[in-house]
Amino acid sequence: MHLATDMHGSFGGGDISSILPDEVEVTIGILALQGAFIEHEHALQRLFMAPSFLRQRKGINWKFSTVQVRSTEDLERCSALIIPGGESTTIALLLRLSSLLEPLRAFSATKPIWGTCAGAILLAKEIANPKKGGQEVLGQVSVRIERNGWGSQVESFEAPLEVPKLRNPDEPFTGVFIRAPVILSLLDDKDAPIEEIARIPEDLLPAESCDTNTSKEDRHAQALVALRQGNHFLTTFHPELTEDDRFHEFFVVECVLDYVLKAKGKQRL
Amino acid sequence: MTTPPAALPSNVLQGAGVGASAPSPAPIRSAQKEGNLGTFGVKSGLAQMLKGGVIMDVVNAEQAKIAEDAGACAVMALERVPADIRAEGGVARMSDPKMIKEIVEAVTIPVMAKVRIGHFVEAQILQSIGIDYIDESEVLTPADDEHHINKHNFKVPFVCGARNLGEALRRISEGAAFIRTKGEAGTGNVVEAVRHSRAVNAEIRRASVMNEEELYAFAKDIQAPFHLLKETARLKRLPVVNFAAGGIATPADAALMMQLGCDGVFVGSGIFHSGDPAKRARAIVQAVTHFNNPKKLAEVSEDLGAAMVGLTIDADLKGGHMAKRGW
Repeated sequence: MHLATDMHGSFGGGDISSILPDEVEVTIGILALQGAFIEHEHALQRLFMAPSFLRQRKGINWKFSTVQVRSTEDLERCSALIIPGGESTTIALLLRLSSLLEPLRAFSATKPIWGTCAGAILLAKEIANPKKGGQEVLGQVSVRIERNGWGSQVESFEAPLEVPKLRNPDEPFTGVFIRAPVILSLLDDKDAPIEEIARIPEDLLPAESCDTNTSKEDRHAQALVALRQGNHFLTTFHPELTEDDRFHEFFVVECVLDYVLKAKGKQRL
Repeated sequence: MTTPPAALPSNVLQGAGVGASAPSPAPIRSAQKEGNLGTFGVKSGLAQMLKGGVIMDVVNAEQAKIAEDAGACAVMALERVPADIRAEGGVARMSDPKMIKEIVEAVTIPVMAKVRIGHFVEAQILQSIGIDYIDESEVLTPADDEHHINKHNFKVPFVCGARNLGEALRRISEGAAFIRTKGEAGTGNVVEAVRHSRAVNAEIRRASVMNEEELYAFAKDIQAPFHLLKETARLKRLPVVNFAAGGIATPADAALMMQLGCDGVFVGSGIFHSGDPAKRARAIVQAVTHFNNPKKLAEVSEDLGAAMVGLTIDADLKGGHMAKRGW
């Protein structure tokens, strides 16, 4: 308080809050029901500590934190959420048993969410080959997705990805694809365009998919491995299994901060 | 769940012979992809995706579906659950590939299957039918009493049991991408799994404060490769995912193993030898997620029907001490 009074004096009685950047807290949740959630949390924590990561952006001093989400109380603290890789059937069941499915549906309708692998399946509007007996989804991103698109684990692979929208775009990003889903086609959605973030060479695509009548357009969509629609971000591979945090940076800066600013603006009005 | 298995430095775990000599199903794919299949990163990565989950033993497609509906993150296909192997005796081998294929058809989650210690041909067969993970398991009768399988030679990843840190690191050096405690399978008695988990943790804690000279001596002492011991000491945990297995029969058992630092659990006979398998399976799945929440554990432990009958682990244990198999 002492310091504040001094500064207050030296600026001739003006309001100090108008010259210091606003401080805004951002809590990013990681759904921690099953799967590789700790890897995501550590990637975020690494990112927030990195000298290259600017905590002051858009005239605001950002204060970041992370939280593992296992209940509605945890979810209520979050400005954004990551749904990790894991087994989508297991995560969907645990969402229901933990009474998180409806709160998460409401959350996902407005707030930023990033789904990796199983998380991407939960975010998709259509699942081509759900578990026999159906599978609950959040239904937010306008894609039709096939689980285990490449087949069993012996088809899992790593591939270098060119991602122009990341920091240091000339440096390829190692995509780790583990029993990964394939985006079979993009669904019509005139209100929310889909932004391509990364694709793999078409010769790495599985020879067959469960949709038999595949158009050239679909084939083009199938090479998509990272995309964004509004606040929602989807990757079919696992950036959290690498030491490279550029995808986490992309999500935080491009999807989360914009959303938080907009939400804050609305509150003030 | 203490710290995560950090992404492994590739020079630490990539064995010399990573080329695939074992046969594998070969759909048409580009040369570029061929070289990037079955890397240690995707092998240990699948184990990372299974964390916080329950892998359940099943003997047919019907049980596999019950397990998947109850929230299993993977199933282990085998001919007889360990409790039956104990009761019936005889040589326990890899299951009939037809039965394994039926299970693969029935579910969408990963399917694992067991091979005998050292039986690399059983492993080649399982890889060729596209199984997702192989357990080189002491529950089956060992095929080799000196050697384990050279697991670097396969694209399919392996999980192996370990009773202590030296054993775990020997398995990792042979190419295992995933470690579990051995426990004493088929007893419904968690005491051995607890012993193995505590032993590994205690040895890691000791190693983590050693200087390099002491680590050389300790590596010799526990018969572990030095570079893996050094990496474990730095990470303060095993460099791959570590599950609990052997004797887990209740949600409380599962949560106990999680609080002891395991990343997830295998449940064998504990489910399908209990009064209400579907209900118990679902309760154990929830217990692994909410392992630190006693109120939730109380809730899921209620009214599960009869647990499997447990056995005392002593010199007369029927079917012998399986945990002693493995070298």
